[in-house]
Amino acid sequence: MSPRYSHRHGLKPLGAGIGLRRDFYEALPRTPRKLDWVEIIPENFLSLGGRSQRALDACRERWTLLPHGVGLNIGGPDALDDDYVTRLSALVKRLDAPFFSDHLCYSRLGGVHLHDLLPLPFTPEAVEHVVPRVREVMARVERPFLLENPSYYAAMPGGTLQEADFLRQVVEAADCGLLLDVNNVWVNATNHGYDPRAFVDALPLERVVQVHLAGHDVGEKVLIDTHGDRVCDDVWALYRYTLERTGPVSTLIEWDQGIPSLDAVLDEADLARTALAEASR
Amino acid sequence: MKPGLKHFFDSMEAYLAGPPGAEGLSKLSASHPGWDVAPERMALYGQFVRGHVRSTLEKLFPLTRKAVTPAAWDALVEGYTRTRPARHYELNRLGEGFPPFVADGTQAQGLPPFLPALARFEWADFAVFASEEVIPERVTQLTPNPTLAVLEQPYRLCAFVRTRDGAPPAEGDELALLWRHPEALVTYYMAATPPALLVLKMAVEGLSEEAVAQATGMAAPDVHAEVVRFAKDGLVLRPVE
Repeated sequence: MSPRYSHRHGLKPLGAGIGLRRDFYEALPRTPRKLDWVEIIPENFLSLGGRSQRALDACRERWTLLPHGVGLNIGGPDALDDDYVTRLSALVKRLDAPFFSDHLCYSRLGGVHLHDLLPLPFTPEAVEHVVPRVREVMARVERPFLLENPSYYAAMPGGTLQEADFLRQVVEAADCGLLLDVNNVWVNATNHGYDPRAFVDALPLERVVQVHLAGHDVGEKVLIDTHGDRVCDDVWALYRYTLERTGPVSTLIEWDQGIPSLDAVLDEADLARTALAEASR
Repeated sequence: MKPGLKHFFDSMEAYLAGPPGAEGLSKLSASHPGWDVAPERMALYGQFVRGHVRSTLEKLFPLTRKAVTPAAWDALVEGYTRTRPARHYELNRLGEGFPPFVADGTQAQGLPPFLPALARFEWADFAVFASEEVIPERVTQLTPNPTLAVLEQPYRLCAFVRTRDGAPPAEGDELALLWRHPEALVTYYMAATPPALLVLKMAVEGLSEEAVAQATGMAAPDVHAEVVRFAKDGLVLRPVE
């Protein structure tokens, strides 16, 4: 196993964090509860002023902020959006974020933003397409970059690689980190009928710098990755399984739909912190 | 990019840009022989992408939506979605073209004549709220709020938006002022009044209270009171005394 990505880049586990969402713009900066770091969706701060900037500045005074994008379109056919990358780079530097991240997917076609994370075919051609784009982004932003394993509901046509192998080939060839969304692993494993633990074992775990945990909706025939509920027991168990192999890594509770009280989200972060403490023993 | 990957993206673009329904899914599936995919799974992506346009419009234009029947709203959303309006990475920006789209279709679709102005007002409300203009914490002279937007409209929309009583807006020319309050950071709005326009003129042209009092015949304390009132509302920024 190669040296850990986090060690090579001097990245330390930050503990348990939550996302800065509009519902929490006023309450989060004032919370007296323990919170180790905060994740932001950069698209909400790149071109919007007013309340969002005030919340960002207030959180920056208390916590490390980690930008986690949804609009980089790292796998798409269009050229990278120059204005987007320029603004993202400026934001990452302004926040002095130790790293930033986005998803291994595409989100724009023909100049139209899909505002969703669509899966790529698991092919060598897609690996070949994505890798130089990741390198370009890292060169422009000049910070370590993580790619997240997205959820997907259908395998795209022409796939010849296993999902874990596809992820491995991209992050190793691009030499970036991996943001492992454990809920996505569970959702994908359930929807596509594979063993989630074997999937985790097949990943380049030495590159995992951050973990995402979230809730999902249980449909009749498919699990939907909604980020709209508490983390379920199966995902907590898979998270502990992962931590046994990676050691403690910065962990985020994602809650983006049907957002409950701030305390309810912080309760989930407390559970993650407990698991992280157990993993470090 | 290899031809196979380009073909994949082209087929997905055609599917996502087309109308909802089974036909687009069949074409997508047929363009990839041997692809064993459940149509209901692929349909999710079409639903998600379309759903983002609808949910964003419904968040940005609640009064425009309320002013028409559900069927008329659905037709507007569907028609607008087909224009592929999401051209910016910030989701809300897809609403920018909605007011002119509504204006283009109002007559032909028998929509209320005030609808284009109302949609424009709601977009201006959001644009002011989210403006990137930085409001300075201190100024050295009376200054217009940099987020200020001015709308000329043929309906009395300020009262309509404030009361929300269900009655259509009254006809009549109105100059609406919209700005982001420097501390509350929400959009304030009002139909322009002579005192508001006077204070704005003072800020734009750098006129002193004494000069205005002399030129208009107003009592100097009255001019001062108007300046203080509109500074408190954030329409103008006043130096700290």
